[in-house]
Amino acid sequence: MPAPCGFLLLRRAGGVWGIASAAVAGLASRGAGYRIAVGEGALAADEILGVVDGLRVHPAAPVLRRFWPEAIGGLAVHGRLPVVVVDPRRPPAALRFDEGERADEGRE
Amino acid sequence: MTEPLEAAERREGTHLLVRAGEYACALPLASVRRVVRAVTVHPLPGAAGELEGLAEFGGEPLPVLNLGRLVNAPPGANPAYPVTVVVWVGPAGAREMVGLAADAALEVVHVPPESVVAGDGGLLLGEAPVGDEVVRVLDLEALGREA
Repeated sequence: MPAPCGFLLLRRAGGVWGIASAAVAGLASRGAGYRIAVGEGALAADEILGVVDGLRVHPAAPVLRRFWPEAIGGLAVHGRLPVVVVDPRRPPAALRFDEGERADEGRE
Repeated sequence: MTEPLEAAERREGTHLLVRAGEYACALPLASVRRVVRAVTVHPLPGAAGELEGLAEFGGEPLPVLNLGRLVNAPPGANPAYPVTVVVWVGPAGAREMVGLAADAALEVVHVPPESVVAGDGGLLLGEAPVGDEVVRVLDLEALGREA
């Protein structure tokens, strides 16, 4: 049976982000946050909100791209929360997992 | 029946006057969808100062821009941005919905096209006298064009 087309929702840097569940290879807690393995890289999350199906993804409009240079997969809304859908190949800088920083946290 | 020319010109010249810092800005009324109490905005890390963040409006994602910063207005005495003006930007065939954080929606005014002194060719269409004040007349279609 094919995997459902869901999105993992997470909170990071004051916003809510979504990433296609199919792109997630692993999820582990690290210190106060989480490390999400995607492809050859990893993303960081402050909080995991859950997995949702049926997110209606809108393309990022020119006005957004004009003032925010990050490459994203699109925009959506879940409940009353705006969601930035991440392109797992080019995650925004705010989501990139800093392996060194988190490793230091683990040594304390 | 065809709309009389005078009526069409009057409709095109009808603007919503909005306070943004120390400036009053005239937004084409046809592009204004709604004025609401300031929406809850979620920041976008790394965004330019003009982009306050992302909100939800009517079940749709809504980028919210700071109108004062867009027009380089000096902040007013109470820069709380208590209203969001939801507008359409961009060309008619590819318009998109955007929120403009502003201090207040003031009134609907008529700005005759011939009274507008040329602006920067972009968002600022020009300046025009309204009452005893000079207002910034904005071209919201230009805001949605690719930079």
